[in-house]
Amino acid sequence: MKKIGILVIAVVLSLGLMTTASLAQKVTLTVTWAAWYPADYLIKLSDDFTKQNPNIKLKGDFIPWPQYHDRMFTEFASHKPSFDIAIPDSQWIGEAAEGGHLLDITDWFKENINFDEWYEFPLRSYGEYPDFSGHWYGVPLLLDFVLGAYRKDIFADPKEKAAFKEKYGYDLTPPKTWGELKDIAEFFTRPKKNMYGFATWQAPIATAGLADIFLGPLWSTGANLWDPRTKHVEGILNNDYGIDAAKYWVDLYKFCPPGSSNYSIDETMTAMQQGMVPMVAMYAMFYPGLLDPKLSLYADKIDFFTEPGAIGRDGVFRHYVQLGGQGFAVSSYTPYKDEALKFIKWFLSDEVQWEWVKGGNISLKRSIIESPKYAELTPISKVVKETAPKLRDFWEIPQYNEMGEYLSIQLNAAILGKISPEEAMDKIAKRHEEILRRAGYYK
Amino acid sequence: MGKERRRYRSLGRGVSERALKVWFLVPTFALLLFMIIFPLIWSLYLSFTRYNAVATAPPLFVGLSNYARILSDPEVWERFIITGKFVGIAVVLEFILGFTLAMLLNREFKGKGILTTLYLLPMMFSPVVIGKFFNFILDTNWGILNHILGALFGLPKIAWTTSYEWAIYSIVITDVWIWTPFMLLLTLAGLSTIPGYLYEAAEVDRASGWFKFRCITLPHIFPLLILALLFRTMDAFRFFDIVYVLTGGGPGYSTQILPYYIYKEAFQYWHTGLSCALAYIFLIIIIALSNIYLTYLNKLRAA
Repeated sequence: MKKIGILVIAVVLSLGLMTTASLAQKVTLTVTWAAWYPADYLIKLSDDFTKQNPNIKLKGDFIPWPQYHDRMFTEFASHKPSFDIAIPDSQWIGEAAEGGHLLDITDWFKENINFDEWYEFPLRSYGEYPDFSGHWYGVPLLLDFVLGAYRKDIFADPKEKAAFKEKYGYDLTPPKTWGELKDIAEFFTRPKKNMYGFATWQAPIATAGLADIFLGPLWSTGANLWDPRTKHVEGILNNDYGIDAAKYWVDLYKFCPPGSSNYSIDETMTAMQQGMVPMVAMYAMFYPGLLDPKLSLYADKIDFFTEPGAIGRDGVFRHYVQLGGQGFAVSSYTPYKDEALKFIKWFLSDEVQWEWVKGGNISLKRSIIESPKYAELTPISKVVKETAPKLRDFWEIPQYNEMGEYLSIQLNAAILGKISPEEAMDKIAKRHEEILRRAGYYK
Repeated sequence: MGKERRRYRSLGRGVSERALKVWFLVPTFALLLFMIIFPLIWSLYLSFTRYNAVATAPPLFVGLSNYARILSDPEVWERFIITGKFVGIAVVLEFILGFTLAMLLNREFKGKGILTTLYLLPMMFSPVVIGKFFNFILDTNWGILNHILGALFGLPKIAWTTSYEWAIYSIVITDVWIWTPFMLLLTLAGLSTIPGYLYEAAEVDRASGWFKFRCITLPHIFPLLILALLFRTMDAFRFFDIVYVLTGGGPGYSTQILPYYIYKEAFQYWHTGLSCALAYIFLIIIIALSNIYLTYLNKLRAA
């Protein structure tokens, strides 16, 4: 009896151990991202990965955009985040890497990523920190950038075209320069009809606000945020070119809807969806909202254009576009580093990248963007191809949030007439240097 | 005595009454210690350090540097002034409106119950939801308020939440809408405690309405009004949700009241040490103000 009892116990224990062992091999990777369509699509796409790797599954922990940064970094501060894979905005890389929250994937990167397959500048923006250091913390997931959307029916109207040509001396087409954009905005500003020429993100916030859209004209005008080598700002941001850009931005606001100085994603989309403006500038990945007939009164009348360049005071045409988008990064706290990297490697394959873009998302891979097949795939494909070589990003250092917000706040004050554009740029340059000095960037 | 010892012996051997009391209090004290006392002491320490909660570097002791930086920064003083302006205007308006409504409701009429309930409803809703609704109501182009003002009075569109002149009033309007019912409730409670015979006696002496209000109503409810003002003032200082949803502290810093500023420093810029110092300065201000109210209240009671 005693022997039977021991045998039964041994069998039960063995079964238990076997079950535990098989359970331990099943891994669920938690991905954190903003709560929007690409996130849902990523989880849907990951089912294909799970079919090939039955023991690895993905689930999402998605946060609304306004709270996303704070939530991610609050979790990082706890040193026990609930996610294994983080998808930070490109400019958050420095903040996350400096805090030791992201896995250094330099060796993995060198083995698995071929530079020639990608557009180099955004590739570095999504994963390398510090700039050009050769240390990698992330890889591209979703390319995004600023583009323009316009009402093709209004632009094609013969009466409007004739009147515009008479007033400005050139044809009414989607603008190629910021100067043309201002002319078109002025032309279509008709307050009695509740119509204004242009709307965009003007909110005084660091992300999804004024800074995102202003930087394109700033760089195209010939100015720069700082000296990338010395990190000095005074005399660079607020030089003549910088002040030209600020003055332009203040002038342009005259043709924006009243009260639009706090516009971010939703408000700008609404202005276009409801027909209050014939042109907007916004991040590309929000384009489906403009073409959805359930949301947009003019869904079938909207097309897209590349963010314009600008002719600087030196007569040179420059063309830069602000980079957006996010990259994959692995949390340094996760016990599932290998599984996470396995998933990321799978995601970066050509086959999966095609599936990704077929879902309406944007890839950074050259073979996708430059393929004739891609040109007809989405309404913004041609804009993606034109824009990809022109991308530029703002600071990716931990201080970007404070610097970006201060820039947005001061320029927002300028567009509201509280201070002059010159004063705004001087204040920004001074504050940025204070922030960088306090952070120890000036030795 | 012997009976008590036998009773406790049945619960657990050697568990005295005193030990039992202690064991029942331990969870509460543990909660107080970990959720309130420890964070207070830790944040006080951090207020004397340079520290970033998401960075790897440990706190670096910098003495009074954070406090000096805050108190010498004109932009911080601007936020103190904005906070004071918001609290002053909002609390006074809530007091006047709540008191007036309470005086009007303090009589018997048909539908009094339903009307009182309706007046109290705004206090019951989530501030975030209210903030979102007021975002739509106060929108410059689509908002119903501008539409009504334009249709009735021919006024131009007012940029309620996006102009430096009006943004502070947009959060005042929202706060007054939510918290006037609180003033109404407390005032109504106070009015209901006034003995009716006092008014009857005054009627007999042919006292005027103003005399009755000044010599009967006001003295009786004054201590409760002071208490209501104290609660509202302290609460108004903590106002955060509506600012976050409605204006985001903007435009510029025009609606960036202190709690919102502390949040930004703590969780957006990760100036953990600095935000702790700011929080303590804020705490001292609130304690000082509360003491003024309480001193006055005690004087009233003594009188």
